[in-house]
Amino acid sequence: MKSSDQKPNQGDSRRDFLKKSSVITAIALTPSVAVKAAESNADERFAQLFEKIPLELTVNNKVYQTTVEPRVTLLDYLREELHLTGTKKGCDHGQCGACTVHVDGQRVNSCLSLAVMNEGKKITTIEGLANGETLHPMQAAFIKHDGFQCGYCTPGQIMSAVACVREGHTGSRAEISEYMSGNICRCGAYPNIVDAIIEVKEGGEKV
Amino acid sequence: MINFQYLRTTTAKSAIALLVKDKNAKFLAGGTNLIDLMKRGVTAPEKLIDINHVPLKQIEQIGNKIHIGALASNSAVADSALIKEKLPLLSWALQAGASAQLRNVATVGGNMMQRTRCSYFYDTEMPCNKRQPGTGCGAMEGFNRMHAIFGASEKCIAVHPSDMCVALTALDAEVVVANAKGERKIPFKDFHRLAGDTPQLDNNLKADEMIIRLEIPMNNLAKNYHYLKVRDRASYAFALVSVAAAFELSNNKITDIRLAMGGVAHKPWRLTASENFLKGKEATLSNFEEAAQLAMKDAKGFGGNDFKLKLAPNTIIEGLNLAKSKV
Amino acid sequence: MEKRVLKDDNDRVDGILKVTGQAKYFAEYELPGLTYGVLVTSTITKGKITALDTKAAEKAPGVIAVISHLNKPSAAAYEQEGGPQMKIFYTDKIFYNGQPIAIVVANTFERATHAASLVKATYAKEDFNTDFEKALKDPKAKKLQGQADYKRGIENAYKTAVVKLEERYFLPIETHNPMELHGIIADWRPNNQLTVYAKTQGVKATQGTIANVFKIPMENIQVNSEFVGGGFGMALRTWPLEIATVMASKHIGKPVKVVITRMQMFTMVGNRPAAIQTIGLGANKDGKLTGITHRAYGETSTYENFTEGVVNMAKFMYQCDNVNTAYAIVPVDLGVPIWMRGPGEATGAFALESAIDEMAHALDMDPLDFRIKNDPETDQQKNKPFSSKNIKEAYKIGAEKIGWSNRKNKPGSLIEGPWQTGYGVSVGVFNANRGKASVKGILKADGSLHLQSATSDIGPGTGTGMTLIANKLMKIPVNKITFELGDSSLPPAPSQGGSATLSTVGSAVNDVCVALKSAIAELAANSNMDATANFVDVLKKNNLPQIEVTKESQGGKERDNYSMYSFSIHFVQVKVHALTGVVKVSKIVSVGDSGTIVSPKTARSQMLGGAVGGIGMALTEESIIDHRYGRYINNNFADYHVPVNADVPEIDVNFINKPDPYINPMGAKGMGEIALIGFSAAVANAVFNATGKRIRTLPITPDKILA
Ligand SMILES: Cc1cc2nc3c(=O)[nH]c(=O)nc-3n(C[C@H](O)[C@H](O)[C@H](O)COP(=O)(O)OP(=O)(O)OC[C@H]3O[C@@H](n4cnc5c(N)ncnc54)[C@H](O)[C@@H]3O)c2cc1C
Ligand code: SF4
Ligand code: FES
Ligand code: FES
Repeated sequence: MKSSDQKPNQGDSRRDFLKKSSVITAIALTPSVAVKAAESNADERFAQLFEKIPLELTVNNKVYQTTVEPRVTLLDYLREELHLTGTKKGCDHGQCGACTVHVDGQRVNSCLSLAVMNEGKKITTIEGLANGETLHPMQAAFIKHDGFQCGYCTPGQIMSAVACVREGHTGSRAEISEYMSGNICRCGAYPNIVDAIIEVKEGGEKV
Repeated sequence: MINFQYLRTTTAKSAIALLVKDKNAKFLAGGTNLIDLMKRGVTAPEKLIDINHVPLKQIEQIGNKIHIGALASNSAVADSALIKEKLPLLSWALQAGASAQLRNVATVGGNMMQRTRCSYFYDTEMPCNKRQPGTGCGAMEGFNRMHAIFGASEKCIAVHPSDMCVALTALDAEVVVANAKGERKIPFKDFHRLAGDTPQLDNNLKADEMIIRLEIPMNNLAKNYHYLKVRDRASYAFALVSVAAAFELSNNKITDIRLAMGGVAHKPWRLTASENFLKGKEATLSNFEEAAQLAMKDAKGFGGNDFKLKLAPNTIIEGLNLAKSKV
Repeated sequence: MEKRVLKDDNDRVDGILKVTGQAKYFAEYELPGLTYGVLVTSTITKGKITALDTKAAEKAPGVIAVISHLNKPSAAAYEQEGGPQMKIFYTDKIFYNGQPIAIVVANTFERATHAASLVKATYAKEDFNTDFEKALKDPKAKKLQGQADYKRGIENAYKTAVVKLEERYFLPIETHNPMELHGIIADWRPNNQLTVYAKTQGVKATQGTIANVFKIPMENIQVNSEFVGGGFGMALRTWPLEIATVMASKHIGKPVKVVITRMQMFTMVGNRPAAIQTIGLGANKDGKLTGITHRAYGETSTYENFTEGVVNMAKFMYQCDNVNTAYAIVPVDLGVPIWMRGPGEATGAFALESAIDEMAHALDMDPLDFRIKNDPETDQQKNKPFSSKNIKEAYKIGAEKIGWSNRKNKPGSLIEGPWQTGYGVSVGVFNANRGKASVKGILKADGSLHLQSATSDIGPGTGTGMTLIANKLMKIPVNKITFELGDSSLPPAPSQGGSATLSTVGSAVNDVCVALKSAIAELAANSNMDATANFVDVLKKNNLPQIEVTKESQGGKERDNYSMYSFSIHFVQVKVHALTGVVKVSKIVSVGDSGTIVSPKTARSQMLGGAVGGIGMALTEESIIDHRYGRYINNNFADYHVPVNADVPEIDVNFINKPDPYINPMGAKGMGEIALIGFSAAVANAVFNATGKRIRTLPITPDKILA
């Protein structure tokens, strides 16, 4: 809860927002939508339209075109809107790595990225890693080496591990550990995770 | 978090124009600090200007300087062949910070602008002069294990948390910033401020300015260097104390030397007195020890961070040792 | 499909679901009309709410309701006098900072979160104390007995011993912090029908608690909790926030989902309480213990008492005729603690196993020899033989693998540049439990076996262990066996805690398999088939698609005759950087003595997890409170340091793997707790061996090394 000098919430300043949205440069609501919504007096619908902006992104090779509030993080968008719940929320503040996904091939923490920042980007989540029914080599190696227990950090670990191999940060156990330290595993599967990564690296398969 | 307005732009010029239009607007780069702070209610901009598409990602050599765009990612800089060859200290410092995931999106400009990790600053129910001037400093008589031992003010004893900035201070970087009228240059060591009477201000960037790029002069410090970061766990933790050390040796005599510390002050802390002492001297343990003592002249602890009075000089010595033994 | 099968019988049965993101945790169920709840918490530490302004929140876009003590729906049990003091939304009292005081429900998470920030409470504040040490010193502060005093032989015999020591050990608050955030989805339907998706270590316990609070029949409540993203003890009870969510759903008639924040994980779901312990040890010149005294104080809350087995180990772990223990709890204005992995025994073992090392040093003995010398043949506390105990063998294996012979008894002897090397050892021990559980087995003519029990899997691999037990008995391939859990409608089983699941539920699986086998044998005999006939043929011959058996299983008299414990030995090598005070655990050898190892892969992982948790306990973990405000100041994963990958070396896990003849049909004893218990002392002992610095206050951070 915040102290008393709280900003008026967005709900109170919708009219204001309407004014401001005319200065939007790169992204703007189509004016016709704006006018229509302003005329209809349905308060709730009004809020929905005006607080959301259009978004197009590709997740696991599927294109999604939706509208979204700017404050929605990529993580919550994946989990709550697209119901791709393989990506996990462990802290919501960039401090654990459970939310790791690939954006244009790079591993990032989806909890500190707004969904709208990813307009036009290609996102891969744990659900998109396997090739149809064939597990990705890293997934298979995690099973083989028991690189998890409760499984909650696992999607993030695997996405991070794949990136780690692609980046070439697998020169030694120590290097792997360092580059995997952005993914916390409270169950303590770390040595097994390193074993899995070494196996994949030495297997030489394309990841 | 309020539902702010989100704008995206592709030029620095329009970014600055959008910024000045609205007092409560902020640039959004990687978002790894800003979104975190917004989630905690520490800041509540009504307008975010996404600058990630502004073409300022260059990492290049121009004349005898290396230019790094404000939007180059921390990992792009750390992994750049040019930086690894010419400014390896910077690459090491970057790799010691945050995590691989965060470094992939965190930008150079954002890293410089990141705010302190002081717990009282983050908790909106606690007093903090930096977050809300006049409410007092929660850390002063509270939990200040992570806090400053140099240049602290009565108002704020926070430290700047960046690793990258420690190396940049050592490397005599310059920051190129711009407003609607044009560009200006700020020496890196003058970019961040001491807290003084205005702890709410972390640096000297003006409200209408944007960081455009860094310019770093070439040097001969790519042989004997080290970035040593002491922290509570082996990785993914902020520094208790860190040291950027680099020197040039000829006949075992130090001809050029750079020393800076992180985790000890409201800004990256350049150790000028120690540098002056070591210049022209031999790279020996006893000289290192003396230089470390010189660095501690005005140090002061606040209870919880008293251990830094011992840790800091030790880290300087070890940083120099490791720089020396690097071949 | 064929590529997605497990390659090895010992692989986790749910491995494919977990590595592909298909495993569904509580927050991941899609329900029509789902709403989002966000909790508003108190910003004072003690007092009363005098006013709660919810107007702004109620008006915010998307908000459906704000529920608090002012407008809560009925929770029948809370309307009665007595019962728990902390009746959420039935009291205006504040017991600690961060206590939930209202819940805001909206149609999206973002809207609920924002609206929650608009709720404003006004309080009447009272003086408070969150400082355990201060309470301990204050003669006026309450101290309650936590466990009956224990005495064998002469009290405080150590005081008159030839060689004696008395030392004080401090353990700070630790927070479980499983990776999955806590919460619940509650879906209250007309006629008091309730479905919840919970994060719980016991679906039956959750069902029972909710039934009690709302006074509705157990049968009306369906609890689902198939996958749990770690618990370490914090999901052993149903927390007020869960009751609040159920109330919210009851109030609005829609499903409500609450996922608390990482910050709230420090205040709403318990922690390992801080403890202050004094150990007195006495020995004669030959290194025989002549007196052990263990006194402990543990932290608890003002509204509920919490106790754990801090002083248990001292009573039987070493041969000694004179032992006395005392344990008291001290209330402070914080949320109530809850068992955290290894619970009180891990707290106690840090002190006792450090003290044992200190005594060995005082005697100038190798700590391993000292332990062996004082190893008991029987349990002196219970006056019974141990059901099985192979500690000496475990010492031997571990010592060899860690290279104990490289250790120097004189601290600070191994120096390489700025790094000092040291070796440490310690013992862990935990009661080998076995409770009562039921399992249903369905044996099908298609050759498969389906097992069901309302147990849980918070990570140890319950389904995998059960499958392997059945596989061994029934000779049915692992991929033809399924084990269903995490559903309150299945045959009852206790909560997953106290390292008892494998022993308890496994025994029921055993009994079901035995019963199924004899049923098949009977059918075979009745249909003139060979007694060794395959069950598929027998079922087919009898025209039966399947047969079903449900068995309840529990231990018998064996516990009257034997003392049953699981043991572990932890060997560690550390490197300490003399200039910066950095401690690196560079080598770990763990030896588990917990009977038969039913599931080798997951058992090894349990030991790894214990070691990693032990590194955290020893070196990095501490929940810090600013006692001026009563608020946690490092309540997040950036400031509360759990070990990361780079903190953990390779870990050499070994098992004695000899069946315990008495505990259960498998001969298997639990191991979840012993994996952690004692580990922190091994690290502290190794740090002493490396540096000569004895650190009795955890965690061992660089500042303490430099001090
Ligand atoms: C868990 C965690 C651990 C971390 N550990 C470390 C660590 O060990 N060491 C370390 O150094 N850092 C660490 N960081 C901090 C991280 O480096 C910063 O968050 C990051 O560098 C910020 O960059 P960004 O691009 O994401 O900035 P943003 O969050 O996008 O922006 C930060 C601020 O800078 C402003 N800004 C951004 N670009 C410009 C520009 N060009 N001109 C003017 N203003 C601008 C924004 O308006 C905003 O106010 C950690 C962060 C997290 C979350
Ligand atoms: S040290 Fe600075 S940031 Fe921290 S509480 Fe004091 S004023 Fe705020
Ligand atoms: S949820 Fe994103 S880093 Fe933890
Ligand atoms: S497997 Fe449980 S947190 Fe990693």
